[in-house]
Amino acid sequence: MTDSFPILLLVMAAAALICRMLGFMLMRVMPASPRIEAALRATPLSVMAGITALALANGGLAEALALGAVVVLTVLLGSDVAAALLGVAVVAVLRWVGV
Amino acid sequence: MTAARFTFDGFRRGLRDGAPLGLSIFAYGLGFGLVAAQAGFGVAKAVATSAAIYSGSAQLAAVSLLQTGGATLTALFATILVINARYFLFGAALQPWLGQVSAPKAYGSLLLLGDANWMFTMRAIAAGEEDRAYLPGTGAPMFAGWLLGTAIGAGAVSILPSPEALGFDLMLPAFAAAMTAAMTRVRADLVPVAVGAGAALIIARIAGPGWAVIGAGLAGGAVAALTYRGRG
Repeated sequence: MTDSFPILLLVMAAAALICRMLGFMLMRVMPASPRIEAALRATPLSVMAGITALALANGGLAEALALGAVVVLTVLLGSDVAAALLGVAVVAVLRWVGV
Repeated sequence: MTAARFTFDGFRRGLRDGAPLGLSIFAYGLGFGLVAAQAGFGVAKAVATSAAIYSGSAQLAAVSLLQTGGATLTALFATILVINARYFLFGAALQPWLGQVSAPKAYGSLLLLGDANWMFTMRAIAAGEEDRAYLPGTGAPMFAGWLLGTAIGAGAVSILPSPEALGFDLMLPAFAAAMTAAMTRVRADLVPVAVGAGAALIIARIAGPGWAVIGAGLAGGAVAALTYRGRG
C-alpha cells in the first residue's frame, strides 16, 4: 500500500460517516407507516439477540457461563449496566482460572 | 411539526447513563491502541483513526487489512462499509424520534452514535425519553473514553496485559445480552429475539460475521412488519 496516511484516513472516515448518516437520511424521505414502525421497534431486540448469539457460537464455556450470568443478574439486580459489567468480570475470572 | 425537546437536562441524563459505557469503551480503546501500536501506528495515527472511524470492529479490520500490505483503498472502504452496515439500521430506527429536531442537532448526534449508546437510547425511547439530547449525552463519554483508551493503549503497548485476559472482548455481547433480557417484557418480544439470534447464526455461516448483525436486524424487522396487524 503506497497511499499516504491522510488519504487512508479520509477514505475510512467517509465509509464510517456514510454508515452513520444514510439510514437516518433514507428514513427521512420514506413515508411513515405503522408497519415500518413495528419493524423498527423489533429491530433493536433482534440486533442484540444476534450479537449475543454470535458471541455464544464463537465462544466457549467461559463465554456461555458469563452471558448466562448476565441474563440472570439483569433480572435479579434490575440493572442491565451492572449485570453487563459483572459479566465481563465473570469471564475474566473464568479465563484466569483456565475455564 | 413542533420541534422536540433538545436540552442540557436531557444531555446530562444521557451523560449519567453513558458514563459506565465510557469506562468500558475506554477499556476497549486500550485494546485497539495495543493492536494499532503492534501494527506500527504511533499514538497520533492510532488516535486519528479512532476519531475518524469511531468503531472498534471496523478499525480492527482496517488495521489488519493494512498490515497485509496488499490492500486497496476500495477494499478498505468496502470493509468498513460492510462491518458498519448495522449503522444504517441504527440510524433508520432512530429517525422517527431523532428526526423531530433540526438537521444539525440530529446529524451532530449521529456522529456520536455507537453500538452501546444506540441500545441505551432505543431502550430510553421505549421507556418514554422525550429529550433528543439524551443521545449525544450517552455518546460523549463513549467517544472521549474511546480516544483516551486508544492513546494510552498505543502509548503503553509494552506494559499492558492482553485485552482478552481482562474480558474486554466480551463487553459488547455482555451489554447486548443484558439489554435483551431487560427489554424482553412480554411473550411477543421473544419473536424478534429468536429471529435475530437465528438469523445471525445462519448469516454468519453463509456470508461472514460482517453481515450477520445487520442481517439479524433486517430479519427481525421484516418478521415484525409481515406479522403486524393494526394497533401496535
